[in-house]
Amino acid sequence: MIAPRPYALLAELTYRCPLHCPYCSNPARARNDSELTTDEWHRVLREATELGVLQVGFSGGEPLVRRDLANLVHGAREAKLYTNLITSGVGLDESRASELREAGLDSVQLSFQSDDIDLADEIAGARAHQTKLAAASFIRAAGIPLSLNFVIHRRNIDRLPQMIALAEALGAERVELANVQFYGWAFLNRAALLPTRQQVVRAQEVATAAKARLAGKIDIFYVLPDYYETRPKPCLNGWGQRYLTVNPIGEVLPCPTASSAIPDLRFENVRARSLDWIWRESESFNRFRGTEWMPEPCRSCPQKEIDFGGCHCQAALLTGNAANTDPVCTLSPNRVLVDAVLRDLNLSLVGTFDWMPRVNPNKDALQL
Amino acid sequence: MLMTTQIADDARPRLARGVRLQIDGTTGKSVLLFPEGILELNETAQEILARCDGQELSDIARALAEEYDVDLVTLAADVREILADLQRRKLVELS
Repeated sequence: MIAPRPYALLAELTYRCPLHCPYCSNPARARNDSELTTDEWHRVLREATELGVLQVGFSGGEPLVRRDLANLVHGAREAKLYTNLITSGVGLDESRASELREAGLDSVQLSFQSDDIDLADEIAGARAHQTKLAAASFIRAAGIPLSLNFVIHRRNIDRLPQMIALAEALGAERVELANVQFYGWAFLNRAALLPTRQQVVRAQEVATAAKARLAGKIDIFYVLPDYYETRPKPCLNGWGQRYLTVNPIGEVLPCPTASSAIPDLRFENVRARSLDWIWRESESFNRFRGTEWMPEPCRSCPQKEIDFGGCHCQAALLTGNAANTDPVCTLSPNRVLVDAVLRDLNLSLVGTFDWMPRVNPNKDALQL
Repeated sequence: MLMTTQIADDARPRLARGVRLQIDGTTGKSVLLFPEGILELNETAQEILARCDGQELSDIARALAEEYDVDLVTLAADVREILADLQRRKLVELS
């Protein structure tokens, strides 16, 4: 099928990160090849613009680990891209914030693990919460719009009201309360992270009420935990339709989690091919483009242009085949796999499980 | 029921912080870019937003009515409606 134009690029600048969140979506076994250089990223940004991309998100790992971040933001603005920084805030002092503003940074998404410092630092596996509060004030002082991102899971979901209050107190324009999705480290730690049904119902009520109360003040985005849904999320608005990700070592991915979740897909590298060729011609981008690839029950389903069969990474992780219908869908013959996980949790008398903190691909390489 | 108050004639609409008005190089159309979002604008919205630079709403409506030779009352109503919609989405601020 003919490739549409993409709208947004996720630029994962590095896998290095000072935090060790157990739900990190980075690959649990990231390859430790050399990161793209400043010049290589500038070329990627220019090629992305030529392809039609309008927005870039600088992410990671922790993008502030890269000393050339402001330089890359400037390059992106020169290429007329709208620039988002997706960060933990660790490494963001006053001068770095103003350096980024001067470079033309359009907006910041700052992650928080909780509103409560002890819980937050426990989840992050680092004393980071206080640093994040300071980072928020530097971002505000620099006049850059601020979004707060919370990943929601069993240990923090009951504190939704307090987390929303933190966003109000910090003067955020936007809050994302995203229930953890199970890829990368989160998949390994699923038993410890998945909230109970009771928690999910309560959280939904809290989010809906806060949305109404803060309408016109703060935009609240609440992302449901998809295991509790009956139809899959319209992942990426279709494979190879609007989004592309370039990871730290230059691989171009239709979805940020695809490299770890779908081992039989081979990804092209910007060091060897142009972004344009990879987007239009590569096997990885064309594999699930459109609806031709679909098996039943998707093929004859009236929803197929709405959810596009759901998430291929989830299908691969749960069923071993990325071409299957997302097993979250109750029409999928594999829904039993999701139900078994939910049943085990919701009937269990055991409260919490231990999780495994994320570790850096090469621990020695981390220098902030 | 949500209360809606009509935007006043002397309100000064501006793009909200973090919102950019730009030409989409692929389509040649105007788009609004904002955190995690892109909005493609129709010609009317584009013409209005290009004038959201501190002018009063009544001046924007008058300028457009003259330029396109249309009835001012109808046009002012359209301008109000579009700006109210954009204000709800936090893409436009009034001062």
